Formats: sequence, structure tokens, C-alpha cells
Amino acid sequence: MMGKFEARIPGDRRYSDSHLWLQPVAGAQRVGFTAYSVRLLQDVYFLEWSIEPNTRVTSKMEIGEIESSKALSTLYAPCDGRLSAFNDRLLDDPTPINTDGYGAGWLYELETEAALLTAEQYREVLEAGWEDTQRLLKGQLN
Amino acid sequence: MAANKLTVVISQAQGKNPVRRELEETIAARLLLESDIDVSLVPHVYDMSADHSGLLFLRALSGDLVFLSWLYPRATRWVLDRQAVRGQEGQSLLGGEDEDEDEESLDDTPAAESAGIGSIDVPARSIYCIDMRASDAADDFLEEIRRIADERSVETVGLMDWIDGSPRPEQLQRYLRSPDSGNGDSGNGGNGNGDSGNGGNGNGQTAAAGTEMEPTGRRWYPVIDYTRCTNCMECIDFCLFGVYGVDQRDRILVEEQDSCKKGCPACSRVCPENAIIFPGHKTAAIAGADGIVENLKIDLSKLFGAPSAVDLAVLERDTELVADGRDAVGNSVGLPRRQSGHAQRHDELDNLMDDLDAFGD
Repeated sequence: MMGKFEARIPGDRRYSDSHLWLQPVAGAQRVGFTAYSVRLLQDVYFLEWSIEPNTRVTSKMEIGEIESSKALSTLYAPCDGRLSAFNDRLLDDPTPINTDGYGAGWLYELETEAALLTAEQYREVLEAGWEDTQRLLKGQLN
Repeated sequence: MAANKLTVVISQAQGKNPVRRELEETIAARLLLESDIDVSLVPHVYDMSADHSGLLFLRALSGDLVFLSWLYPRATRWVLDRQAVRGQEGQSLLGGEDEDEDEESLDDTPAAESAGIGSIDVPARSIYCIDMRASDAADDFLEEIRRIADERSVETVGLMDWIDGSPRPEQLQRYLRSPDSGNGDSGNGGNGNGDSGNGGNGNGQTAAAGTEMEPTGRRWYPVIDYTRCTNCMECIDFCLFGVYGVDQRDRILVEEQDSCKKGCPACSRVCPENAIIFPGHKTAAIAGADGIVENLKIDLSKLFGAPSAVDLAVLERDTELVADGRDAVGNSVGLPRRQSGHAQRHDELDNLMDDLDAFGD
């Protein structure tokens, strides 16, 4: 439980500690926001990528920006790899991020060999980070 | 004895933005009509190199100074300081959304709060730095300048306006463009005892028209805020391009401004006190904004995996090194080896070094 929000973490995929899920699909990993991210963002207004598809990326490299009703953020690559494709439909209409974050709301596909977290490990990340996240939310809301 | 005129300098925006130009010219034109104010235009203060005539003019000014620029006031103050244009910090009320905070902090003594090494050779006159992005309306700036002028004047001497009646726009334009019509050359007894009160006109060169001065190029270099700088020297360790140096008093300073790699803000991220300003940087905190820039939205970047400030600085520095044809160094060079939980034992060698240092004082 994250405060009053019951976090459901699908077991059929892997995770990163930057709150993204990764699911294998035809030689690459499909990447999207976890429910936790979506809950913090609320309605996504605007999504922009700062690199081209088929680009090598390194962990924590800046790859784009997102803005929503409640938040904004730079987006970073979760690990080393090669970003092969973006979900172009989101650029016209990012609502699938909110309505189907684990399905049609996928962000991009990434070829990577990096080790990823299991659902259980991600749950631990959420619990461990909850205190800090609260401070982040409260500090910035003032 | 004539009251000292208040000098107002407008540091013009980079480029040819017509909206900004118009604001500058409106303010200048209206100030020309004020008998107790001397107004001058100079190019963008950050872009003027040390020997630029605009800076020579500024250095020659001795009285209180209101300085309008298109930078955060903190950035302007320290750019000027580095160019030996120094003064006590004049408090301006024109601060945008932070106005409430500014008014409260007017009672605080800045010196008491800062742990920095401070500036040196600061004359007893005030410099009021104002950001021209604080408002769209010339009136707001004119009111604030009037407030500052009134606040400092003890008595006003009736001065005869050297401009008879209201000047036509073309006359004002000619005034603004011509380098020959000086602020101090009132001639007709405007200043009772002939003292122009404006040292910069002594050598006949005026700065009435910033656009007439030699052109400036766009520069990029760090600016140190000495109210925050503790002289820890991490910046000089970190920068591998020779931008930083040490002066004769063993204080850190930005020595080779033009060795700085354009666009690179890496050193500002490693400074433990956030004392390094890059006035042209897109992030307000690095560009010298005061306090915390309020956003209505939460910045989730840290949550979504943003690298730490030091990691980011290392990446930026490596980018510049590689672009320069050198090898990337990662975090192996110029960063203190911060070992957590490792007790720093003060041993005999440290004592010897301390004694040697003390010996030199």
C-alpha cells in the first residue's frame, strides 16, 4: 500500500528503479510507465523525445520530456542499450498512458542486456522509497 | 552643494529583440527628462570583455548606480563585481513573484547570513540591480527608479532642465544615437558648481548610446557569487580547461573567462555552495535566480532517474573534453574522494602542512 493507493504490480514483466516496466517483445523490451508513475503524473498533456529512434543510449541519458496536469519531468534511459522505436501514436495523443499504461500506453522499445528488477524487487523499491517520495511531494507542494 | 545625480545604466539585450529594445528606449527617453538622473546605455554587460569601452565607463562611475539588465539581479551584481564595478547591494522592490520574500528579507543583514569569502575593495556606494524581465511596463521601472532616487536624496536643488519643453521623438532618437551629446554637458548652469557629478564624462567619452559602442560577441563563462563562495577550490580542481585561477590573496577567481566551453555548466553543479552562476543558462537556479524557483508542478525528474548533480557534471565535462579532442576522464579526475564512514585522521604530515601554511601568513 502506498499511502491510500493500493499498488498492483503485474508479475508478467520486469521493472527499473526509475518506475518503468519492461516487457520482452520480438527481440527488444517494450517500456512504459508503472501505475506509480501514472498516479503521480495524473493526466499527461505532452510528451516529447529528444533523440531519434535507433539510437544507442546509456543509463540515465536524457531522452525526452513529459508534462502533465500535476507534474513535469525529464525522461531518462533506464539502462544501457539501443532505443529502436517510439510509440508514435502517443505523440498525437498521450491519453493511452493514463487509460492503458501497461498496454497501449507503451512508450518505446529498447534493446538491452541489462539486469532488471522482478516485480517483487520493484515492490521493495516502492516501499523503501515511500518516505522519500512523500517528502518530495510535500516539499514541492508548498 | 548640488545633490549627486543618480546614474541609471541600461544594459541592452543581446540580439535585436524589438520588444526589449522598445522597453529600453522608452525607459531611457523618460529618464532623460528627470533632472536628477543620468541615464546611459551600454551593451549586454555579460558580453563586454574587460577592455570594452562600456566597462571603462562603468568603472569610472563613483556614485550610486541603478543597473538595468536582462539577467537575474544576482547574476548582474557578480558580473559587475568581476569587472571591478562594485558597491553595496542596493535593495530593489521590483522582484516579480518573490516580492513578499524580498520585503521580509530586507531586514536581514546579508553579511550575517552568508558564509562566503565576500567581495573585496567594495566602495561605499550602492548598486541596485534590476532585471528587466520583471515587468513589461516601463512605468514599473520608472516608479522603482524614482523610489530609489527619492530614498537617497537629502535635498533637491532646483535644476534647470537643459531640454526646453518636451522633446519630439526624433530629437530623442538623435540624442540616443549620438555619442557626442553627453549627459554631463549641461553647460547652462544645471549643476551649480560645475561638478558634473558623473565621473565617466571626464574624458569626454560618454556612454549615452550603447549601440554606438564597439560590438560585442556572445560570451560564455562562469561568474562566482562571493557571498556563497567559501574558497573550497573544488571548481578549479574540476575544470580541466583552465578557466579558474587563484589571485594574489589566494582567492579563487575566474581567470580565463574565454577558455570556458560554450554551453557547458558542469562546474556550477559541483560547487557545494551553488556559488557559480552561468547567467545565460536555461535553468533559473544556474542562471542566478534567488531562492527556490517556484513551480506549480512537481518536478519528478529525480524520481524518474535523473543523475545526481555530480554525475551530470562529469557527463558534461566528458562531452567537452571529447569535443576538444581529448580523452574523457569520467569521475577519476578533479573530484574529492568522498569516502563515507572513513575517519579523517589528522596525522603528523597534516600538522606539518598546517604549520607551513601558518608560517606564510
